[in-house]
Amino acid sequence: MSNILRRIEIPIFLTIVATVLQVVPYYLDIPIINTTANNINQWVLLIVAWATFIGPLSLIQVHGKAVQKRGSGWYYSILVLAAAVVMSIAGLPIPEVGLSQRNPVYNWLFTYGQTALSSTMYGIIAFFITSAAYRAFRAKNIESTLVLLAGVFMVMSNAPFFTASWPGFKTIGDWIFAVPNMATNRAVTIGAALGAIALAVRTLMGIERGYLRGGGD
Amino acid sequence: MGLMDKLNDLDRRWVYLLTWIFVLFPLLFPLGLPVPIQKESQAWFNYIKNIPDGSVIIYSPMYGTSGMPELFPMTLGMMHQLFQKNVKIIVVTFWAEGALVFDQALRQVDPASYGKVYGVDWIDLGYIPGGEPAIRAFGEDMISTAPKDYIQGQPTGSFAIMQDVKSARDVDLIISIETGTPGLTEWLRQWQEPFKVPIIVGCIGVSAPGMAPFLQSGQLSAILPGLTSSAEYELLINRKGLAIAGVDAISMSHILVVLLVILGNIGYFATRRKS
Repeated sequence: MSNILRRIEIPIFLTIVATVLQVVPYYLDIPIINTTANNINQWVLLIVAWATFIGPLSLIQVHGKAVQKRGSGWYYSILVLAAAVVMSIAGLPIPEVGLSQRNPVYNWLFTYGQTALSSTMYGIIAFFITSAAYRAFRAKNIESTLVLLAGVFMVMSNAPFFTASWPGFKTIGDWIFAVPNMATNRAVTIGAALGAIALAVRTLMGIERGYLRGGGD
Repeated sequence: MGLMDKLNDLDRRWVYLLTWIFVLFPLLFPLGLPVPIQKESQAWFNYIKNIPDGSVIIYSPMYGTSGMPELFPMTLGMMHQLFQKNVKIIVVTFWAEGALVFDQALRQVDPASYGKVYGVDWIDLGYIPGGEPAIRAFGEDMISTAPKDYIQGQPTGSFAIMQDVKSARDVDLIISIETGTPGLTEWLRQWQEPFKVPIIVGCIGVSAPGMAPFLQSGQLSAILPGLTSSAEYELLINRKGLAIAGVDAISMSHILVVLLVILGNIGYFATRRKS
């Protein structure tokens, strides 16, 4: 029995059924298939919800080991674990005992800890972008000169100081956005879509097995 | 090392220090630089202004705390404009932190101050896990996908606002404020195309180029990209807020980028000629 359950055809068959059930309702209106597809879609939500537990488990595993081994910066791992435990407990959905995402401790940590730290991390990008623009935008040859001009005009078209000084910056920026940028993005989007279709067909035919533990038979 | 060599290869710590000064100075001492209204923010403002009375709108903060510096101001601005209108608003998010971000927005914009009643004029369904499949499931059947509301924890179907709204077929517009995935493309695949629900998107500046093809094709009806557009939008709704406060810093940091690029190229050509 266990040998039968290990057969490669079973996950391939399940994948084909699940994929066809998601594709068919997009093009055909067949009530029974629609209902089945919707039910299976609800299963996905349950699976994803359960997968949430993998996050904390992985966090405990990684940072627990770091504390145990006393590697470099292990004390930061203690902070991570302590914050995770406090926020997890404070945010438990048990409003009867005062715990929930509306708990004052949870809210305080979220507003003055998580929000401030995340915003800071995002803000740091400004430093890297400025440094990268200074180093990358050099007119070394024709191609890099084109990148430089496009980049500088886009920067200027997005800064009110420049567009208020000369509206032409915005016009040039809009042209770059609507013509070369759009053409490139269309090519990328259509190329990616064709690739996804090819991958789906290969998966449906059982040729693509990369998702099955590396594709071994 | 001569001046030109230094210009060609400025230590990154100097670049960081200059960035810090150029961003911090206008935040501490606002310069009041002009903010011209551009066509994107004007189109966005007009689109919301022209939403017919009685429309059902999905308002979706699809971002976490890291997106707040750029997207929170437009989230607040839009709440002010939407709550002034006679429309039904269903708040839902498919980002784990989205519901908590909207909680923070509610502390600054009280729907009751616009005479809006919870459960009648608006409802908050919170976060639904599952990404794109969740968007699809929500479009097919809202009440079974979000069985309870986020604020009161009551059955979603028991609220007056949900009596005539069961699926995406009953929705007139999606407003998605977003930083990435899930976001526009998932909405397009699961709502806009199958159910023909129009969508408008407020996004971070770097996402805008990728949205251009959808805007041109008409699948995306309007776009509000980045903090600069948010500042223009705040001027249009006549409520100066966080975006206006930050737009001077944007101008100054962009001026610095342009100056550094010019100086870097002067240094590059001078040292190249010498070598």
